[in-house]
Amino acid sequence: MARKFSGKDSSLVMYAMLTPTFGLLAVFSLVPFLWAFATSFYDYEVGGESKFIGLANYVEYLHDPTLFSSFGNMFFLMCFGLMVVTTAPLIIAKLIFSLRSERARYLYRVLFLIPIVVPGVAGMMIWQGMIYGDSGFLNELLRSIGRDDLTRGWLTDPRTVMWAIVFMGFPFAGGINILIYYAGLAGISESVHEAAELDGARGIRKFLRIDVPLVLSQIKLLTILTVIGTVQGFEGMFILTKGGPGFKTMVPGLWMYMNAFSFQRMGYACAIGVILFLLILTLTILNMRYLRSSEELTAESA
Amino acid sequence: MRRKRGQFFLHLILLTILGMTFMPLVFVLDNSLRTNSEMNHSFFGLPKAAIQSAAITNAKLGGESTFSVARSPDKGAVVDQVGYGEALRRMGKQLFEGYVYAWQVLRPYMLNTIFVCLATVLGVVLVGSVSAYVFSRCRFRGKNTLFLAVLSFMMIPGVLTLVPSFLWVKQLGLLNSHWVLILPYMAGGQIFAIFLFKSFFDGLPGELFESAKMDGAGHWTLYWRMVLPLSKSVISVVAITSILGTWNNFLWPFITNSDAKYHVVSSGLYLMGQSQVAANYSTMFAAYVLASIPLLVLFLYATKPFMAGVTSGAFKA
Repeated sequence: MARKFSGKDSSLVMYAMLTPTFGLLAVFSLVPFLWAFATSFYDYEVGGESKFIGLANYVEYLHDPTLFSSFGNMFFLMCFGLMVVTTAPLIIAKLIFSLRSERARYLYRVLFLIPIVVPGVAGMMIWQGMIYGDSGFLNELLRSIGRDDLTRGWLTDPRTVMWAIVFMGFPFAGGINILIYYAGLAGISESVHEAAELDGARGIRKFLRIDVPLVLSQIKLLTILTVIGTVQGFEGMFILTKGGPGFKTMVPGLWMYMNAFSFQRMGYACAIGVILFLLILTLTILNMRYLRSSEELTAESA
Repeated sequence: MRRKRGQFFLHLILLTILGMTFMPLVFVLDNSLRTNSEMNHSFFGLPKAAIQSAAITNAKLGGESTFSVARSPDKGAVVDQVGYGEALRRMGKQLFEGYVYAWQVLRPYMLNTIFVCLATVLGVVLVGSVSAYVFSRCRFRGKNTLFLAVLSFMMIPGVLTLVPSFLWVKQLGLLNSHWVLILPYMAGGQIFAIFLFKSFFDGLPGELFESAKMDGAGHWTLYWRMVLPLSKSVISVVAITSILGTWNNFLWPFITNSDAKYHVVSSGLYLMGQSQVAANYSTMFAAYVLASIPLLVLFLYATKPFMAGVTSGAFKA
């Protein structure tokens, strides 16, 4: 229909209007993307000569002393993150959804979202000092019940540091995950619930048999986000522990960062970045296959 | 009857979880009003100056006219007899001391962040909506390929480009400027904005465009006079997604702006924590509170688009 008027639109005008988008993408996304691969083949230190060394950076990383511990830590963080993201927010969303009053449901959703106004960095520093600090909440609580022997630097003791990191943000209720699950629960049609109740499904059984399968696409979405997030994420470790004590909380992303900005080994850092990129790509493709089948499942059962 | 009890328990559980979620923030708020010696004395407790103010007010209501108050918190030994107004002024000063110091340090960082946020939002909304309009409402060769090309940039993870981006902007001479934040944020933020805008524009009724074109409106008029005014809801969602991303970003501003003049809130807070300012607990805690206020205000002012913004933002990845 629009053809009638398209006489005066030449494609050139359209391309011109898209220039800002593609200009920005080319300069600030495409160049760094290509540069990452190119630099990974060089022995490149800031201020020094760069030398083409082929795959030597990749080979070196295979023998890197942090390789096993950092991927192990990343895997642990991922497993714990997946465990958390598929339970706590879903249960809370279900509890909110079970309230009868429309206003109460809205109010709880708003209240649980409020913590995201705290800048992420501040949130971590608050946990670091307020909860895990030498005279923070945990230690003061232990002292007040006379268990001084259990007090410790939760983020410096190698036995507790990893647990301290994963339990940061307990009870894992603040933020957007509840809203995502809530939207999923709200999308389940009333007739499904009625049919389930006629069949005598109630309480936890109904939750597991009806609600959980029907929010599978939300579960899958948050799974992808968590997986990608843990492969990429190292801000937390950077702010809280710098990978220490020792390499106890080192993750590949942080090691990349340290190689680039502490040891000035840009080529090596880029090689680690490329490996993480390939890992993310593989996991995303695997997940996407999975996601599509879950949507089909939802469509069938709805 | 059973129903009612069930609802009561639901509220009880939810309020407990809510309480645990907010507990660290309540501690922060409380201790931002307490001095170091109060905190060292005991972790739990209300601000002494607030308690004292209440006691003074109580005495005032009881008929007293002068009150003995320390001249300043660190000169506890020097006690004056002062009137009610002066007593409360001194208490208030002690109470908000942390905030006064924190604001001195944080103010330039806040202004930088707000400027960068505004510039980024403006750029993302303008560039994103124009491109989305072109993709949604115009016909030209290679349209679908170009649109897919834009979307494919979403697949590039930040961890891959962090180091080369740094080397590249250094080469461009952009380090230590606002542009080193604004331009890359715009480049990355526009992708999702185009996606959101395009699906919104696709949903606008085609007759609207046809009749406007009959009246001789060109693309520019259509975009500026018709599409933009209709898009307020999606603009606010895009804006909030963009602001949240910009406000929370830490690593990029941290590595690209070493000059204190260009620090933003997140990098500034981190550096504050590393500096001697952190020795004064209340200053740090007050800084956390102050750093949260702008987004809190935005949240309370625009709760609905905020909630829509964060959930749509989740699909970005």
